[in-house]
Amino acid sequence: MANDTKKRFGFVIDISRCIDCRACMVACSVENTVPYNHTRIWVHDQGVKGEWPNLSRAFVPYNCMHCENPPCTEVCVSGATYKNKDNGLVLVDQDACIGCGFCVEACPYEARYIDEARGVVDKCTGCFQRVEIGQMPACVATCLGGSRLFGDFNDPESTVAKALKEAGSVIRLDAKRADGKSTEPNIYYVNAPVEMINLITTDKFGQMEGKVPETSEYTVSEELWKKLLIPGLGLATAAAFGVQAVFFTKQLVQGEKEIEE
Amino acid sequence: MTKSISRRDFLKLGGMAAGAVALGSFIPPQVAKAARDAGLIDPNGDGYIPTMCEMCVWRCGVLAKVRDGKVVKLEGNPEHPNSRGKLCARGQSGLMNTYDPDRVLHPLIRVGKRGEGKFRQASWEEALGLVAKNMLDIKQKYGPEAMLFSSTHNISQPVFENILYGFGSPNYGTQRSLCFNAMIVANLMTYGMEEPARDYGNIKYLILTGRNLTEAISTSETSALMDIISQGAKVVYIDPRFTKTASKADEWLPIRPGTDSAFHLAMINVIVNEGLYNKSFVDAFTTGFDQLSAAITQYTPAWAEKITGIQAGTITRIAHEFAAAGSSALAHNGWRTSNFLNSFQTQRAITVLNAIMGNWGSTLHPAAGEGAGGLGSIPQPAYPRITAPRLDGVPWKYPFVPLKLGIFQEMRDGALKGDPYQPHGWLISRQNPVMDLPDRQKTLDLFGKLDFIATIDIIMNDTSWFSDVVLPEASYLERYDPLNPVGDKAFLRQPVIEPQGEAKSALWIFKELGTRLGIGDFFQYADEKDYINQQLKPLGTTVDGIAMHGYAKFPAGEDKSEFTWNTPSGRIEIHSATLEKGGFSPLPEWQAPPQPKEDEFYLLTGKVGQHTQFGTQNNKLLHKYEDAPRMWMHPDSAGKRGIKDWDMVEVTSEVGKINVPVRVTASIRPDCVYMTPGYGHLSKGLRTAYGVGASESELHVTYTDPISGGQALSQTFVTVRKV
Amino acid sequence: MSSHQTVPVAEQNKLRNKMYKKHNVANIITHWFNVFSWLMLLPTGIAIIASPRLGITPVWMQEWFRNMFGGTANLITFHYTVGLVWMFILLFNVLVGFRKYFVPFALHRMLLDKDDIQWMMVKPLQMLGLKKDRPLPAQDAYNAGQKIYSYFVVLGTLGIMVSGPVMVLKNLFPPIVKQIAQPVHFLSVFMIVAWLFIHIYMGAIFPEEKEAFYSMFTGKVSAWYAKMHHTKWYWEKVQEEMDWEDEVNEKIKAESHTKSEGAAAD
Repeated sequence: MANDTKKRFGFVIDISRCIDCRACMVACSVENTVPYNHTRIWVHDQGVKGEWPNLSRAFVPYNCMHCENPPCTEVCVSGATYKNKDNGLVLVDQDACIGCGFCVEACPYEARYIDEARGVVDKCTGCFQRVEIGQMPACVATCLGGSRLFGDFNDPESTVAKALKEAGSVIRLDAKRADGKSTEPNIYYVNAPVEMINLITTDKFGQMEGKVPETSEYTVSEELWKKLLIPGLGLATAAAFGVQAVFFTKQLVQGEKEIEE
Repeated sequence: MTKSISRRDFLKLGGMAAGAVALGSFIPPQVAKAARDAGLIDPNGDGYIPTMCEMCVWRCGVLAKVRDGKVVKLEGNPEHPNSRGKLCARGQSGLMNTYDPDRVLHPLIRVGKRGEGKFRQASWEEALGLVAKNMLDIKQKYGPEAMLFSSTHNISQPVFENILYGFGSPNYGTQRSLCFNAMIVANLMTYGMEEPARDYGNIKYLILTGRNLTEAISTSETSALMDIISQGAKVVYIDPRFTKTASKADEWLPIRPGTDSAFHLAMINVIVNEGLYNKSFVDAFTTGFDQLSAAITQYTPAWAEKITGIQAGTITRIAHEFAAAGSSALAHNGWRTSNFLNSFQTQRAITVLNAIMGNWGSTLHPAAGEGAGGLGSIPQPAYPRITAPRLDGVPWKYPFVPLKLGIFQEMRDGALKGDPYQPHGWLISRQNPVMDLPDRQKTLDLFGKLDFIATIDIIMNDTSWFSDVVLPEASYLERYDPLNPVGDKAFLRQPVIEPQGEAKSALWIFKELGTRLGIGDFFQYADEKDYINQQLKPLGTTVDGIAMHGYAKFPAGEDKSEFTWNTPSGRIEIHSATLEKGGFSPLPEWQAPPQPKEDEFYLLTGKVGQHTQFGTQNNKLLHKYEDAPRMWMHPDSAGKRGIKDWDMVEVTSEVGKINVPVRVTASIRPDCVYMTPGYGHLSKGLRTAYGVGASESELHVTYTDPISGGQALSQTFVTVRKV
Repeated sequence: MSSHQTVPVAEQNKLRNKMYKKHNVANIITHWFNVFSWLMLLPTGIAIIASPRLGITPVWMQEWFRNMFGGTANLITFHYTVGLVWMFILLFNVLVGFRKYFVPFALHRMLLDKDDIQWMMVKPLQMLGLKKDRPLPAQDAYNAGQKIYSYFVVLGTLGIMVSGPVMVLKNLFPPIVKQIAQPVHFLSVFMIVAWLFIHIYMGAIFPEEKEAFYSMFTGKVSAWYAKMHHTKWYWEKVQEEMDWEDEVNEKIKAESHTKSEGAAAD
């Protein structure tokens, strides 16, 4: 595994059980005081597929994947967002976060948002305030269909580890990071219909199409930084050093003639 | 960054009210003093308060989480059989229901014209006095029957009924006839009980006729359905729409509306003719099987195919599979069964189908129904004799409709016609007739004919908007209510949040009003706690004693080894002599429903998991996650009319006309359109809900089933054109 | 650096003992306050940069700083607190008497002229040991290199002072502004830092500029130093002295004239 965290918290979501009732979303909104114009979790409606009357429809619950190789923590300039070494959750230290949004753009799952009122980035935290007192995250606790499971993948006795073992099919929505590594998300989808493997999403009204997850790319600022600024400044600094080094050495060699008059 | 569908778009399209800028986060409210007094909050200000949800009629047990003296979250109570630790979206949004900025928190008296929404704040003294004076004036001038009363099923309803019966009026309209009269009366005729209980643990084969459990959510039952599906139970789902439940079922039958009974009659035909029924059960516990055998022969699968559009081979196969599951099979008797005038026959057919499978004791069990066996009752005098006939025609026009159910739409029609007499006032508690009664214009016309309308509600809903006096009730998180027995426990509702403004509990309001009406003897309790303590007396405990866990346990009852059905014969009545005496078919029979013309559609209704009928559209948290309300239409039908997805259309029925945007989808029959009820609110006092969507109640024609009094909501046909 | 060969030693010593005032107290305090602030801001600022994709700060340095301050948030809080204090004091120093002191100073001392351009083209080559025979044009109080660096410093400082608070006042600005603020902040800092090494070397290490270093404490440089390195400024000072001498002589003449007139009147 990419990380040797003590625990590896994550979700197993049984696609066949999600009924898109949205209890999870409301529960999360209340538990974590999510602003009205944002949501930490949502359900992708795959839309009605097939020819009438042989129709099918699947619902894919979604939230931060707490990846093994998070693209978001890579781009955070200050390290305000990080993968917790003890439990594997990807978290945001909102005292350190300045809300620039690089991480929001970097996430291929669009799991992050900027809380405008506070000017910081927010996202699913695995309801750690509940987990540490022995409760399930709000979305898991209230899932009517029994679709959502949460636990420690490093513990073979956990519900999630067992569910993975017993699952009919397992899908993980891997995405490519800009450095080529796979994100290795910690949400495993089980019992999903075959067509979900190419995750084409439609909006609730079956209109537009887009692809999630996407490959995260360098932003313009990062391109500028990596390709222009650092080499440029490095060169300038080196040049400055170089000039002085040469002259100083020359001085040493020639002696301090010019100082003495 | 490539444009993709994100949850941001999801929210944007999800119907945020115009101008609803990010309003910041929800601010947790202070915990109620009552909870502190009961010792439920520790010195840190933390604790859990057990109570009951009221966001729908399932009334899940709730644990309200309190941190630092503030109520921060609602959780399902694991000890309550209806929630088992979970809450649906509506239950989870309960804090927003209480904290809705459009709450009515002070008594209001109208100052403008009705429907202008101009009120002035008044004291309880003045408001209650005004209500009582008007009601007594009407009683004096026209007789007590000139006052109409309305309420929705809720725990304090028996106390409300004391007002109307103590006052002396027989005119009582509740939502029952808009909902499940057909199911209740059919069960009463067949089993002698309103609704047997279903045991999902034993179900291996389930037929759902409607009963869109994943969207018409009953928390524990919805979860149970998903459990048995995962465990391999087979589910056949019958509905003209491909709902979310259809997507989870093994088989979806897109039946022609109004023909459910044909399907079930054909099922019975196959099972009876091929001898696949449970003979020993039928012989021991039912009556009328022989009559059934004879009458059922005409209802063949081939016959049903022509009517329902479901292939004969499919019906036969399902009948075989159903029968093979024996007592592990269940034909779900549905819930809201107010679809067609023949819905009663559908319900009868379903109960008979279950009866001949002999699944009683396995997938079906006796249920006590409502009424608190084992709880104490509050003493009250006998009701005065009521001589006036009911405006809704029960029982003289509708002999089989139980009095306490009544026929709401008939009461409205009778009141409007003034037949057999003209009513002059209406007291409405926790009901919204402006939204839920069919043919909305008639309801508004009736308002124009009444001298006095008073409403008891928590928010400025549509009926309150048109009232003369609005009495503010405390929300369910702010009040005590009578106990609610479920299974072997009686559950408590106790205040979680410090009541805001001057809102008061229903028990308080009813007593105050009753006292001013001179019928105070019907409210012999000092306050809410005293009421509940009187209920708890036989159990030997008090409110304070049960506050910690939120329930009292009933003592184990005697083992009733000999169970008999509460029917005239003491058995399950496949053949009902009672119905026969009333001039109706004693066996389930086929009654052809009306059909739409060439260019007309069936107008279907249904439910969504994020709202409860007509009452929750103003809740910001639910509004955030709802689908924008549009009318469903099949692509073929839309294409023929040049209608594209999101186009605005005009929908016309014989009683009304509305404009609504369209959702073009394959998940509905081409001859049907569907609208989610609850939108098109008229009250500008509902600032989140006003202006969202359109109301199908404006289109619905009033039809009343002569046997059960049920409204036929799907029997309205509409034309659609692009605007 | 070449003209001193023509000056006789006696004259040189006379000039070496004569002191001119170059920096006032305010300048000196501001300069060292700046140095002190940068000593706190630069390392913490670099330590904050933890992004693996930007990859500039070694992990051991990030961890050491975070451990010392008790977390990323504290490190950042320290950085911007010092930054804001630095901003406030520096702006105060510059803006108080902005029109009276800073503007004339900028116009008089900071603008490049023909001599400066020529000097810039020759001096760097001479530092590498080339073109030693070419004459260097005379420089003013601050040589061309210093002037150009001052532009970097002013621009960079402004850049830091604009981009820094943008990142601190995080709920007042939209994300895109904060995204731009980050490279602007880094660019501004490194713009100064890149040439800072020359500044420090020239000021504190290079033996020939020892007087320059001491002048940042005493405020004074010797006339010899001035004549050698900042010839135009030296002549300005000499001109000032001569003007002053003329003024004094005029006064004495006037006084003796009245005295003699007075004596004559007796």
